[in-house]
Amino acid sequence: MIVVNDVYKRYRTDHGPGRWILEGVNLTIPPRTNVGLMGRNGVGKSTLLRLIGGNDTPTRGTIERHCRVSWPMGFSGGLQGSLTGRQNARFLCRIHGHESDMADRIDQIAGFCELGDAFDEPVKTYSTGMRSRLQFAMSLAFDFDVYISDEVTAAGDAVFRDKALAAFKKVADHAGLIMVSHAEGTLKQFCKAGVLLHEGQAHWFDDINDAFKAYKATLVAA
Amino acid sequence: MTAAIRSPLSVTYAVWRALFLREAAFRLSARRAAWLWLLLEPVFHVAFISIFYELVRMHAFQGIDAGMFIMTGLLGFLMTRNCAMRSMEAVKANSALFAYRQVKPVDTVIVRAGLEGFLGLLVSLIMLAGAGLSGLDIVPRDPLVVLLAFAGLWAAGFGLALMLSVFSQLVTEIGDVVRLAFMPLYLFSGVVFPIHLVPLQYREWLFYNPIVHGVEILRGGFFAHYHVVPEANLSYLYGFALVTVFLGLALHVRYARKIIAL
Repeated sequence: MIVVNDVYKRYRTDHGPGRWILEGVNLTIPPRTNVGLMGRNGVGKSTLLRLIGGNDTPTRGTIERHCRVSWPMGFSGGLQGSLTGRQNARFLCRIHGHESDMADRIDQIAGFCELGDAFDEPVKTYSTGMRSRLQFAMSLAFDFDVYISDEVTAAGDAVFRDKALAAFKKVADHAGLIMVSHAEGTLKQFCKAGVLLHEGQAHWFDDINDAFKAYKATLVAA
Repeated sequence: MTAAIRSPLSVTYAVWRALFLREAAFRLSARRAAWLWLLLEPVFHVAFISIFYELVRMHAFQGIDAGMFIMTGLLGFLMTRNCAMRSMEAVKANSALFAYRQVKPVDTVIVRAGLEGFLGLLVSLIMLAGAGLSGLDIVPRDPLVVLLAFAGLWAAGFGLALMLSVFSQLVTEIGDVVRLAFMPLYLFSGVVFPIHLVPLQYREWLFYNPIVHGVEILRGGFFAHYHVVPEANLSYLYGFALVTVFLGLALHVRYARKIIAL
């Protein structure tokens, strides 16, 4: 379970404090729930994901994570360009406390991303598609209770994308998921519940279709 | 299905271990024969200055072989300099890894400083062994004092690195200034000349520099007949280290979020 308690967030800019992005967000995300997060550009979806993932701290308010939460998946960070894919994967295994069964997990990652010999080349030589393959394979290699996904499924060529979607669906079925995507189909495919971010507040909908209706209403109002 | 949530200590240990291994792998494989360069810099340095002294017919200081004199000073100085300068850049070099909430900026500085200390010790041992093979007397008079001085020099570099890693992230020019500052600091640390040759009224000023305390005590512990100037004081070095480590950790607490975002 994740409890977001009256969270406020604003960033410091070059000209002093910026505008409030989140203004009193209250959310309780039950275990094993797949939630789609929606809202207009710049409304703070990625900010909220980063806060839930623990990559940033709220300006005010608290966030409690009573379970194992993944890092926000699908953005370009998290890979060290000077190291090989294998070394990056090893690093990830180590910081997640999988020193003992590391060999199995590395095999799993190497098998899934299908990079072949490139797995032992520095990541900075990778193409964008190869990077996202590796990132996707790494995000599936650990057992989290809640996965945080920021546009994660847009990875690789068509064959890989089908495989990735299938694997991701399997993971999402037995764990919780918090997802940001601008593709309506993707959100509906993975999520049952929805959260609409609007004017700094979060609104919970048990049914994602209701969330979409409300979301579209905000677009019309603007 | 919730696996046991790990304690903060075990997470930190896992992160340090992972960082140490990746830092070591990178440091020793980044360039062609990177491990060789580690050794070549101090060896050439000592060789060059020894040859210079040979040319001006200075073979010994207070009965100590000029090469050994320079080597002990240089190894002590490098301990501080490498630790401070390399660990200062640790935050920037590892910026991609802050995507994982387990990794904090301070972890990268601590681990890199630890690695630099370890490598510095290794390089020192190899160089001393080399000197021993070429017939010089390399057995320290008081090994414990030598180790204490080494540890103090490392700790001073570590404290500087903690502070500078924050400052250089906030204001990038500070990194360049520090690189410049270590050049005169090298001269004022008495690596290449005996500090007792400096007249008393100027020596007083030199001893504001913590490194010179460490270098002087280090030589005192190493050579039986070395005359340590009375100003040299290990507690000044350790005091400096304590204050900078404390300030550096405080800065990291205050600016941890900000230097990740940059």
